[in-house]
Amino acid sequence: MSAIEALYIFDEHNTPLLEHTYTGRPPPGSTVLPLYLAHTSPRPSLIYLPSTNPPTLLYSIIQDQLLFLAPCSRDTEPLQVLEFLHRVADVLEDFLGAPLLASKIESNYDVVAQLLGEMVDGGVIANTEPNALRDVVEAPSSMRNLLGAVGLPGTTPSSLNPSTTPFSLSSRGPSLSISGRTSPTPAQTISPVPWRRANVRHTSNELYVDIIETLSVTIAPSGRPLAALANGSIAFTAKVSGIPDLLLHIACPGGINNTLSLPVFHPCVRLNRWRDRPGELSFVPPDGRFVLAGYEVDLLGPRALDAFSTDAKAAAAPKLNIPATAAIATSLGPTGVDFEVRLTLNARFAGKPKKGSQSGSGIGSGSAGSSSISRQAGGLSAVGMGIGGAGFGVSSSSSKGTSSSPTIEELVVHVPLPAGVKNVADLRVVKGGGDAGYAPGDRSIEWRLSSREIAALMALDRGAGQGVLATLRGTVVGDVDEGNTEGGPVRLGGEQRWEYDEGPASPASSLAPAEPNSNSKRGFGDEGIAAADARRVKANKVLMPSCVTVSFSVKGWLASGVRVESLSIDAKRSKGIGAGVQPYKGVKYVCVSRKGVEGRC
Amino acid sequence: MSYRQPPSQTLPFFSHVIKNIASPSLAVKKLVYIYLLQHAEHEPDTALLSINTIQKSLTDQNPQLRALALRVMSGIRVPVISQIVSLGIKRGAGDMSPYVRRAAALAIPKCYALDPNTEPQLLDYLSTLLGDKQYFVTGAAVAAFLEMCPDRLDLIHPHYRSLARKLIDMDEWGQLSTLRLMGIYARKCFPRRTKSVRKLNTNANTKSKSTKGFYDSESDSDETDDQETEDIVVLDGDLELLLKTCQPLLQSRNSAVMIAVARTYLYLGTPDYLQLAIGPLVSLLRSVPDTQHIALYNIVQVCLSHPQPFVKYYTHFLVRSTDAPHIWRLKLELLTLIFPYSPSRLQSLILAELSHFSHSGSLDPALVRESVRAIGRCSQSSATSPKTSARCLRLLLAHIGSADSHLVAESLEVIRHLIQRDPDNHRTTVVRLAKHLDAATSPQARASIIWLVGEFAGLDPENNIATDVLRILAKGFADEAEAAKLQIVLLAAKVYVHHLNANPPPEPPKQEEPQPSPLFEGLDDEGGFRDPHLGSDPARQVPQLDQQKPHPVEALYQYVLLLTRYDTSYDLRDRARVYRALLSTPSSTQLASLLLLAPKPVPQTPSPSEARKAYVLGSASLVIGDEGGVGGLKGYEDLPPWVKEGREPDPALRDETGTTSVYEAGGRSITAGERLDAAASSNRAPEIAASPTKSLNGIGASKAKEKTLDDWLAEESEESEEESEDEEDEEDEEESECETEEEETDSEDEGESDRLVKG
Repeated sequence: MSAIEALYIFDEHNTPLLEHTYTGRPPPGSTVLPLYLAHTSPRPSLIYLPSTNPPTLLYSIIQDQLLFLAPCSRDTEPLQVLEFLHRVADVLEDFLGAPLLASKIESNYDVVAQLLGEMVDGGVIANTEPNALRDVVEAPSSMRNLLGAVGLPGTTPSSLNPSTTPFSLSSRGPSLSISGRTSPTPAQTISPVPWRRANVRHTSNELYVDIIETLSVTIAPSGRPLAALANGSIAFTAKVSGIPDLLLHIACPGGINNTLSLPVFHPCVRLNRWRDRPGELSFVPPDGRFVLAGYEVDLLGPRALDAFSTDAKAAAAPKLNIPATAAIATSLGPTGVDFEVRLTLNARFAGKPKKGSQSGSGIGSGSAGSSSISRQAGGLSAVGMGIGGAGFGVSSSSSKGTSSSPTIEELVVHVPLPAGVKNVADLRVVKGGGDAGYAPGDRSIEWRLSSREIAALMALDRGAGQGVLATLRGTVVGDVDEGNTEGGPVRLGGEQRWEYDEGPASPASSLAPAEPNSNSKRGFGDEGIAAADARRVKANKVLMPSCVTVSFSVKGWLASGVRVESLSIDAKRSKGIGAGVQPYKGVKYVCVSRKGVEGRC
Repeated sequence: MSYRQPPSQTLPFFSHVIKNIASPSLAVKKLVYIYLLQHAEHEPDTALLSINTIQKSLTDQNPQLRALALRVMSGIRVPVISQIVSLGIKRGAGDMSPYVRRAAALAIPKCYALDPNTEPQLLDYLSTLLGDKQYFVTGAAVAAFLEMCPDRLDLIHPHYRSLARKLIDMDEWGQLSTLRLMGIYARKCFPRRTKSVRKLNTNANTKSKSTKGFYDSESDSDETDDQETEDIVVLDGDLELLLKTCQPLLQSRNSAVMIAVARTYLYLGTPDYLQLAIGPLVSLLRSVPDTQHIALYNIVQVCLSHPQPFVKYYTHFLVRSTDAPHIWRLKLELLTLIFPYSPSRLQSLILAELSHFSHSGSLDPALVRESVRAIGRCSQSSATSPKTSARCLRLLLAHIGSADSHLVAESLEVIRHLIQRDPDNHRTTVVRLAKHLDAATSPQARASIIWLVGEFAGLDPENNIATDVLRILAKGFADEAEAAKLQIVLLAAKVYVHHLNANPPPEPPKQEEPQPSPLFEGLDDEGGFRDPHLGSDPARQVPQLDQQKPHPVEALYQYVLLLTRYDTSYDLRDRARVYRALLSTPSSTQLASLLLLAPKPVPQTPSPSEARKAYVLGSASLVIGDEGGVGGLKGYEDLPPWVKEGREPDPALRDETGTTSVYEAGGRSITAGERLDAAASSNRAPEIAASPTKSLNGIGASKAKEKTLDDWLAEESEESEEESEDEEDEEDEEESECETEEEETDSEDEGESDRLVKG
């Protein structure tokens, strides 16, 4: 049952950072690493290594480019170990600062060693709650910073006081364990709430709610969405003294119960309250940043399947409102080597300049879908107001995206290519801006649009409200050998067969038989070419990309329309928070897609 | 302070470091301890020097330090000190601070590993700790129990109910080990009772059947073969308590806990409970890819036995282009598993999905292969309607002309499987395949089509196309690739054998006359394969051929043999010689038919994870499969079978009244349940009175006080919603109360310990 036998951490160059053995005699990191690397990437998180002694299960995660390995010689619950590894990474990040770097670990070995020692006892996972760990291990920098800021020279760790007996030490124990925030406290260091540190003191009381939704959308070749899920997580940052008892109200159009599904919660959330009154999260938060809850939203709704009728009525197709979608058309051109990527941007995310007109026109000129989204927009901006009135400030980490006029940022389109493609010739952006990049040998094309280019595109569309389109075209080049054997007999002069594909073939006329007219000037017989082209189109199908993915982030807008209604501190139940203290509250909404919107062909 | 370089290099400093153990600084002390733990085994003698100092810290005032000392002492792997460690644990188990008690619990297995002779004492401590009122102590104690003596379930009896109730408050890791323990305990202590009820609907019956099938050997005792009635599992009250308390854990943020609950429900509960776990299982798919991977294995495992509830989550199983191979493989499998149970629209969606990946998803040949196989699995599953399976076949047939050789080969493979499984219904498919010979370019594809035609040459002698196919192929024999030529020769031999069998040589060989009309009728009957062009030219040409030659089959055979004789391939010539020898005397064909017409076994293509079905949900063996050795990896334990009726331990053992003495002996308070009652009935806290739900609950609980414990438990299940919340709050309050008490007693204790030290 001893789950964790050892923990190895490697940096991005696979040089060992640390090895910590907990129990047993697991194979050392130097033997496991090559065996791990021998697996082809992407490597599964659980690998069985029969060749080591003893045969080992190797669990691995990669976070912040650091590789965490945990060997295990007995059957354990894989998720237990993986969760543990994630917790280790999180805790280290919490103690050492946000981007977890190899150098940070190296310079804070003492802290890391104490942490690892606390987290696992004899192979049994003991304590992974960051707050509880803060009670027993000092964070490296906060100590010095705080003392420096407050100007208290005296209360630095006990090494200054030349005390020798353990008794005199222990009397000062508590003050050490509070990681030096302030005020000496009674000897009882154990917090009554297991996930919250004892004796939290903050001079400025702040509460932040960040709701982040990650989109994962699949769009069928017909343009109909097959699946659209938004995975949301509510990240909470609590910097409040004492033991506050908070109540967070969230709401969304259509009702929380119907929209949010499969929620998971931090242990601090009172589940019964949620069950009785969905949308209310009542909890005593841990100190610092944590993930309060996770949920998912099916953007298509439960009736989506019924819409998949065979006779593809456009009206029946579920309407989906996401900031950007992309479609790809392949096998264009006479020999079917061209493809075209069409990126559609939703006009609603044009940004500030259109704020006034947009919401009005959107509501007025509406199909069902667009009106619903503008209702959401109205709701959002109303919330913005309400929050402002109630002492909320919408946290303005980005000047562009606010809840009243969300903007698309970091828009990237990826086109993964099959292995047979050797090069992409003639890659150009036909409409719209941005740079499309491809290096021979890459497995995908990347097309980036900066926010300025997006704004320019959006400007073209001002007033129409229909969304804008940008297009990218390219030609794939397959294996040269294959091409020659196929094309050789028909072609005179031995020119590269893809040369004449650059003709302005319209995307609509895709297949060969209609095409040869444009080529007839070259003097070939139409029929022969048509037949040959048809064959080549077929052959080139193998080289065509099959999908396109879009990544972006939108601040101030959520696909599900979830919003924070209110956040209040239950004064009766809370302890240790000064009377009349009104903490600063901030809300942030971010909707991201990491290759999450996928258009197929 | 960076002691943490590679261990072998730091060993020389051992004694120097040890000297620092008495250092007053807590931080230094901790680091020395860590160093000590890493190196003590190499220098046991020097390590012993430090024991004394550590022992002193055991009586320190700071509970943290005491816990640390206990942990280090037990962690030093020097067998000599086992008695000292055991003493330390004893003291720690009675400590006032829960931190120390937890450290004591965790030290127990370490001490046991050091010296197994200490077992009796350790078991004593352990049973005290199992009854601890602090939930994170119990969690550790359960982990220790599992490590040390998972068979001593008698220790658990008195604590079972309190453990089940504390489950929700434990930390995640404690929950995990407790759920694991409960799985074993429940199997061993609660007999599977079933009540025969009149069957309500067939659907439910099949469901319970499948459950049974899953347990197969284990549930023999309850498997009543009575078809008329349905077996409803009757849950023991205590088991039900466990299942109910698990329920909130399904919303845990720890994926391992979710899987553990799902495991509990799958193996201990009823299908109704399992329903609750399905959604949370699916929700694991939104986590990071590494968790996703493991979670998918578990989902597949549940899906193999209970596919129905997964249908509505189909959107989660659609393959995305960013998925890694090990993830999409499992997703495709899931899609095929839910396929038979899904409504027809979803079925067509799944098929469209699969065919999308099979032809345009040429990103990865493996993906193409898997999705073609998945189509095959979809079409052969028993619940699929003939129409759908015809559609699958159409999809596959459409692939034959593709330029992608992987796709063609794999499609034919799957088609072959399909045909072989049900030859009678696929007669026309063979005909269609033969039609596709013109389209198929890859030699491998041609070869396997020819083989299939040959296999079915004798199926229906009245209207068989084999002869025709052979005739057409013989014309272009020289242009074929070797693989195809081999199959042509084989086909020729087979056709000849059939010919000889049907028409023994003394008589003039009667040519089986292919009649176009039955062929067409057959097509019409089949429904799915109406093809206007079908059976046009090959069937028509045969009669003419027939008239020209009296022995067309024999002539064809001889012609093919003649062609092969002058082929460049050795293999081909050898093959031809073998057939020639086999069939040299037309009168004795037994040997030849034995060789050439041997019935082929029907290929089975079960779902890939079927092989892992026997492994317990949530174990690593499930993920690794049989690669880790038959019977799972080292340390893998199957769940024990249900205890036989009448052999289970007396349920009275679980009554908590018997345990109070243990608690009192431990010098600590009453059980959680009783405290809860007391707290609720006193109804004093103004806060509680303030909120309406709570006062309600208070009344309910105070009523419950008069009832027996079992009644109370039953009631708790109804009220568990309010209660668990209250429990939290109240426990919080009580903790603070207890802690003040503890502080009071602490001072006394310190006095004692002072004396001890001095003494």
